[in-house]
Formats: sequence, structure tokens, C-alpha cells
Amino acid sequence: MRRTPALLFVATMATAALFAAGCAKKAAEAPPTPPAPPVVQTTTPEPTPSSASETPVPVPTVTAGDFTDAFFDLDSYALRDDAKVALDLAAKLLRDQADVNVTLEGHCDERGTVEYNQALGEKRANAARDYLVNAGVSAARVQTLSYGKERPFAEGHDESSWAQNRRAHFVLR
Amino acid sequence: MKRLAVVLLLAVLAVPGARAQTREVRIDIAGGGRRTQLYCEAFAAGRLPAGAPAARQADEVLANDLEQSSVFLVSRAWSGQPPFDVQAVSGGRWKVASGQVTLEGEVRDFPARRSILSKVYRGSIADWRALVHQFADDIVLQFTGESGVARTRIAFIAVEGRNKELWVMDLDGAGARPLTRDRSIALSPSWSPEGSLLAFSTYRDGGSPRLYVVPAAGGKLYPVSARSGLNTSPAYSPDGREIACTLSKDGNSEIYVLDARGGSPRRLTDSRAIDTSPCWAPTGREIAFTSDRSGLPQVYVMDRDGGNVRRLTFEVGYTDSPAWSPRGDLVAFVSRTPAGFDLYVCAADGANARLVVSGGSNENPRWSPDGRHLVFASNREGPYALFISDLDGRPPRKLDTGGRTAMSPSWSPSASRIVTAVPTNASNSNPGGRP
Repeated sequence: MRRTPALLFVATMATAALFAAGCAKKAAEAPPTPPAPPVVQTTTPEPTPSSASETPVPVPTVTAGDFTDAFFDLDSYALRDDAKVALDLAAKLLRDQADVNVTLEGHCDERGTVEYNQALGEKRANAARDYLVNAGVSAARVQTLSYGKERPFAEGHDESSWAQNRRAHFVLR
Repeated sequence: MKRLAVVLLLAVLAVPGARAQTREVRIDIAGGGRRTQLYCEAFAAGRLPAGAPAARQADEVLANDLEQSSVFLVSRAWSGQPPFDVQAVSGGRWKVASGQVTLEGEVRDFPARRSILSKVYRGSIADWRALVHQFADDIVLQFTGESGVARTRIAFIAVEGRNKELWVMDLDGAGARPLTRDRSIALSPSWSPEGSLLAFSTYRDGGSPRLYVVPAAGGKLYPVSARSGLNTSPAYSPDGREIACTLSKDGNSEIYVLDARGGSPRRLTDSRAIDTSPCWAPTGREIAFTSDRSGLPQVYVMDRDGGNVRRLTFEVGYTDSPAWSPRGDLVAFVSRTPAGFDLYVCAADGANARLVVSGGSNENPRWSPDGRHLVFASNREGPYALFISDLDGRPPRKLDTGGRTAMSPSWSPSASRIVTAVPTNASNSNPGGRP
């Protein structure tokens, strides 16, 4: 939902002048109504700007962008189902690419103390690492590091930012 | 709240050679009640050479110190206020000659204007602030039986973009200077008990955070613990021989005690849960810490060998950041709210938890060495800044960090050991002022 205004903007820019008035009208109506994004996607060449910048050059080996981070609930380092899906994908990539090593960075939202969050971030990184090891990845290929709440991905002070900041983040090394 | 009253017997010399008269002064030091009304008169100053403080500057430093002590209600003569309803008057004179400052400080009762305290302080011009702070601390000592904290310092973490550097400053904000310039993340400073060193955790080496120590006067950093995994939340023991900290070298965050150089790790906790934020009792016999072994984080206490673990906090939800008062009777901690954290204080056995500061997020409480104040970081007025609570229900006071966004304060030990300027006793009729 947070991307909606940006997507609408892209859509507006990409649409011919003939349709501009109609799109602008949609943009004006869109923010309060959840169904807006699908409408936008039909008129936009790429689903998101980030994937657009990565797709043009195919690379033989994996990049950090091939990995999906594992996200966590508040105060928790238990792996959610979506985190397991992300880690299954990561385990397959790592099994297929024996020369790739990763660091898993544990991160937390701001609703904890500095020191507790450093420990919680480590728990998250370790939980993700242990899952990869159980899925057949050598432990030597996965380092862990916790930043606690010191390196947030989203700077906002709301649930959507907090959800972004509770993660085990893949970094290639 | 129970009010503590200290009865002071002040020996007052009416005129030199006269028989000492005894007078009783009652001062409420922990109640939130009455403060002694003190009228600050400007110091008389002769011609001041270059490099000396402007006389008004010294007047303000003293008045601010006395105000911040929470012992006095201060009025300033130079603001044009009349000495209405005051109980004592401070003043004196400056002399500056050949690079040396002499401060003759005096406190008199009012309206009789008999001398309560009279002391002469000498030092170099560069130390003039220390002389004024010393006078302020002696005034507090005279009225309460305990020295003030005007000469103490505050270490804190300054937020600089995405980086955090360790800084130190005088309690009144003067002399602020960085101790790290790593463009990294420094966290969790802890003073050594004699005030010469600061231990802290930092990401400066890349990878996991490590423990370093830096001289409080500035200088080279040296590593104390670079074990694999977390090296965080250092806390010097009261005798300075050991550092309690959090390490995860064995796979999970646990509390350890290292010797002061970082060697001979002794593990105190053994649980699959998170254990962190150790904090010593002033006796050095017990350690409070945070653990989520029962679910959400709570504060626990254990003996210094790791035995006899008991939970301290029950009445409020998510609690963390224990800080044991230097008097030993209270533990401060934080409790999570929808807005962040509130500040609480409870007895050392966990009883009588009471809310001390709320509004915004109030984090990382640390006691003043006299146990009268708590310093903490808060976003109650905007970006994170440092505040002091006198535990008396009055609004917290913001510290001057020169506009820097500041977090994780740590209050230096008491000042007698960290200031070099030594006062010269001249005509103090009642040295020490103790009852």
C-alpha cells in the first residue's frame, strides 16, 4: 500500500496524453481505496521500479537481489511461513552456487532497548542461519551479525516501517 | 512518598572570636517538597585579564549548578529580583593574577547575613569552571551533608546521521568533546568507578560489536573483548576490577564477567533466552540484568557468581535497562508503552514500583553518583536528548548537548576524584558541614 502513490505516478508518466486525464482522475480517487494497485499494474510495463533496474542484464551467478529477506513478528525470532519460503529459496540458491557465501544481518524495529534488540537481532539471524543449515547449506558459508535497531530499513515510526525493520537480511560476501 | 528530612546543625560564627551559636536547619532532600530559597549575588570582580571568564559567566555557572542540584530554589540578583522570602545568600569575589584565579566564595544566612560558608578556591584560569563547580558542591554539602554533583560529567552517544559517536561533557554541557570519530556505531558507555575510563560497545571493526575502552580525557581506544558474536552492554564493577557484559561467543547471549582488561571470562547465566544489560549493585555482590526467559523481557537479579536468580519486576509488562542506585536501595528501569518507554523506580527487592517519568519515550536511565537524580534519553521534546529527573514529580530538565541528538547517557562517578583543582580552606567555620 505504501507504494501506491509512486506507482500511480509512474503509471501516469507512462500513459499517452490521450489517456492522461482518465488516469489522473483515477489517481485522485485511488488513495482511500485498496483495489487501486491492480489497475495500475495493467498500465505499467514493470511491476516495480527496483526489479526494472535489475532485469535488463542477466548475470550468470546469484546477486543479493536474488535473495528474499526473512521477516519476523514483534518481539519474536520464530520463523514465519513467509520467512521459511524465503529461506527455502535462499537454501536452493546456495546449494546451486557453491562459491557464494552470505552474511545474515539481524535487524529489529525501534520498539525495544538498544541492548536487548542487539540480542534479539542475533536470535533472528541465527534462526535464519539454522534453517539454512538444516536445509543442507554448510554452516561455514553463513555468517551472522546483529545490528539490533541501529540500521533500520524504513525510518518511519509506524507499523509498516516496523514490519520492514524486523528481518534477517541477506548480504553476499 | 516518604519524605527524608536531614537535620543540620550549623555552627555559625556571628563575629570573629564570638561564641559559636547553634542553629537548626531542616532540608527536605527527597520529598518533592520545599527547597531552600537561595539568592545568588554576583561575584565582585576586579579587572579581569584576557582568558578569564566574564564575571557574569561565572555567576551564571554557579546559579545553574545550585538550581540543578534540586536542593535550592535560586533567584539571581543580576536579574533585578529582590531578595524576597530568601533563606540564604551566596556571593564572593574573583581575583585573577598571573594566570591564577582566586575565588573567595561565601554563603550567608538571611536576613541576618551571618556567614554560613566561606572558602577560598585557587586554580589556573583554564580551571575556572571547576572552581565554581567546587564552590557549588560545597554549598550543597553545607546544606545537606552530601557533596553536590556539579563537577560530574556525562558520557553519551551522539547521533550523527546513521552513525553514533561517544561523547563526554560536563554536567552543565560545557567542554563537550567526542571520544570516538569512527563513523560507526558506538553504544552503551559505562564509566570506570574512579572516572578515568569509559567502556563501550562499537561496530567500528566491521562485523559484530566489540567492547573497547577509551580514556575519559580522550585518547587511544583499546579493545577489551572481540570474541565472536555479540560483545555488548559493558558495566564496570564498583571496584573497577571487572566488567560485566553480554557475550554470545557460546551461541546465545549470556551475561559474563571479564577482568578489567577483558580476560578470564566467567559465565554467569545459562538459558536459551536472551540475557543482557547487566548492572552491578553498589556492593558488587549482586548483578541486575534483563532476560526474556519468562516471555517478554523482565529485570532479574542474581548473585555475582550467577546463583540465586530471582525476578525483580512483575507489575509492569516489558521491562529492561536496570540501573541500581549508588545508595543501593533503588533500581530504576524502563517499561514499554505504545509510545516507547516509561521510567520506573522500585526498591532493590522489587517492591513499590512507581512511575517516575512518562510521555514520549524515556530510555537508558542512569543514576547520579549521589543517588538524587536520574539521567535518561528521551524524545519527549523532539529528537532524542538527555534529561534529568529529580524523582520528585517535577518535569524533567533537559541537558545542554549543544543541539546534538543524544542517547544512552552515563553519569560519571562523584567528582572528588576527577577534578584536579583543589580548594584551599581559608576561613571555613565548619569544615564538611556534616551534622
